Amino acid sequence: MLRCAPVIVPILFGVTALAYLVASGLFLAFLLRGGEALGRAALGALGAGTISHLVFLVAPALSAAPVLALDIRESLAVGSLLVSLAFLVTTLTPRAPSTRLSVLGAFITPVTLVFFLGAGLHRNVTSVPEGVRSALLPVHVGVNVLGVVAFALAFGVAVAYVVQERQLRQKRIGGMLSRLPPLDVLDALGFRFIAIGFPLFTLGVVSGALWAVRLDPDAPALSTSQLVGLLAWLTFAAVLGLRVGAGWRGRRAAYGTMAGFLCTCLLLLGYVFRDGSGVGS
Amino acid sequence: MSRLFVLGVSHKTSPVALRERLAVKPEALPETVKSLAEAAGLDEALLVSTCNRVEVYGLAAHDDAPERVRAFLERTTGPGSLAAHTYERQDADAVRHAFRVASSLDSMVVGEPQILGQVKDAYEAASAAGVLGSLLDRAFTKAFAVAKRVRSETGVAAGTVSISSIACDLAEQIFGDLRGRRVLLVGAGKMGESAAKHLAKEGARLFVLNRSRERALELAAACGGEPRSLSELASELALCDVAICSTSSERFVVTMELMKEVVRARKYRPIFLVDIAVPRDVDPRIGEMEGCFVYDVDDLQKVANENLAGRRREAEAAEQIVETETRAFEEWRRQQDLKPLIVGLREHVRGVLAAELERTLPRLKGDPTQDRAALERMIDAATNKLLHGPLTALKAAGERGDAAAIDAVRALFPLGAETSSSRRDPEAQRPELTPARGKVGA
Repeated sequence: MLRCAPVIVPILFGVTALAYLVASGLFLAFLLRGGEALGRAALGALGAGTISHLVFLVAPALSAAPVLALDIRESLAVGSLLVSLAFLVTTLTPRAPSTRLSVLGAFITPVTLVFFLGAGLHRNVTSVPEGVRSALLPVHVGVNVLGVVAFALAFGVAVAYVVQERQLRQKRIGGMLSRLPPLDVLDALGFRFIAIGFPLFTLGVVSGALWAVRLDPDAPALSTSQLVGLLAWLTFAAVLGLRVGAGWRGRRAAYGTMAGFLCTCLLLLGYVFRDGSGVGS
Repeated sequence: MSRLFVLGVSHKTSPVALRERLAVKPEALPETVKSLAEAAGLDEALLVSTCNRVEVYGLAAHDDAPERVRAFLERTTGPGSLAAHTYERQDADAVRHAFRVASSLDSMVVGEPQILGQVKDAYEAASAAGVLGSLLDRAFTKAFAVAKRVRSETGVAAGTVSISSIACDLAEQIFGDLRGRRVLLVGAGKMGESAAKHLAKEGARLFVLNRSRERALELAAACGGEPRSLSELASELALCDVAICSTSSERFVVTMELMKEVVRARKYRPIFLVDIAVPRDVDPRIGEMEGCFVYDVDDLQKVANENLAGRRREAEAAEQIVETETRAFEEWRRQQDLKPLIVGLREHVRGVLAAELERTLPRLKGDPTQDRAALERMIDAATNKLLHGPLTALKAAGERGDAAAIDAVRALFPLGAETSSSRRDPEAQRPELTPARGKVGA
């Protein structure tokens, strides 16, 4: 079993991606057409994808001593699993703020799929060279991954808020309106995810900056990726600050969350397609 | 043969003035249905009484039973007063009617949920009065199952159709749990009051604003809310989650200028403005402001109409279910009708063979106990083989409803009167050989 683990990995990647794709389609169909059976099937497909994803991450470790690559692909692979797991836990917990949270899978599962596919790009990338490793690196990567997971969930909730708000404003009663959670529940849930993600992301930005300075004290003050990362941080800081300080909420907060997450995605995209190890702030 | 029938008046056939005279209070149902069954000579009876219908289901062997029921009902409305307003259905049509009523397909608002509870009350009352026999018991137990099937398999009960319920549903779409939410009732319109009460029932806190302090106090007491003066409108709007406006003002009560201040004070927290007044109380442009959701009476009525149309579309699928279940019930009933005849036929054939056995046994030279056991087995086998063909044909005739074939069987065999009208005692006794055995033993 140990010997065949590397052979299984590409198969597991394909199975996981397919399960996430099917789950995305089913969640979308559930949002548009309704039907409890569709909702249950979508959750089932996502659950299957999550299990396959977990095995996909664990399988290589069975054939060799696990070494943390700490690169962007590994971060995306772990991050997408955490998004999926966090969504399932949020939806299935008996203390969920609404019984209609599962339909949010229509917005969150595609994010999981895209992150996971991103993790599959250029699988042969080299991991972080030993020379540039530091104790700060696992902290930097870990808190950033957790922050991005929270932002991904907040993004899905924000898109649902905008859709639900539009349905109410255009007076399209029934259909999607009755399947999406209430506006206030979405608003509170989005805020909770940002409140969790922001301190983690802040810690990630600070640790990254410290590590970069230690690595190369003569490097330019702000690289492009650092600039985009800072923009994402500022957007989320504004969303959170205006919400707490000025009481901004609802549509404005939802658009702010979406903008912040898109900046975060730009940052990740830059890392994915950058040559080399994909390390650095 | 006993016939099942229903006779009644409903919102489709009679004015409310007549129905309210016929209506029976829930506590009086058992006594009334018992008196009715006695007066009309019914074997079984069930009386459904709601604000939209009063109808009697009965089982009787005599043909004038519906007429006697009508005469009983006319005791309260006067002789001849019901002839033009009553409907009457027999057998399968009566069963279909019961299924449609329980499934809310015959209701004024198709899909409304109360009727099923009211029919269940009628069933309990008939049972308590001791006039619910096996047939009506079976018919109504089935009617409850059909109603459940219709509700779960079709969208006949989907969507709300009353203005106040729609307003409540929309508030839940915005705020989720309404417990502890502040609801402001501005004005004293009846529909507004009803919507506010609906929201209060969900746990919302109610505040009543009126130009007249006395009227505000009166309404607040009626709705379980707190009175406020109309001069506090801006400050109350800044605090509330839902505002229901139903004043008789000729001009907008909630204006753009007022709401601009209110929205700022609320820090864009969502507010649901329900404008049930005609002419309108809320400037419709407010609906474009951030965090403001404005629904007027036309918007709510449109939703009600769409939901009602949806229910009517679903009613077609529900009618199919009712039809299938009615056919199944009638098939069961025909089988029940045939049971006494089948039992009688078996009894007759077995009786003839048993009599021959008793004559033959004393002449046999073997062991009498062993001979009897062997010959009894032979009688059972012979009875089965002889009757296999005729009984199969009889059951098929029953399924087809071929009364002529069934009557021919009755004419061919001297089976006794009980086989033709024993629907109330379908489980007739199997013929026994025990007395003969006793004789032999002796």
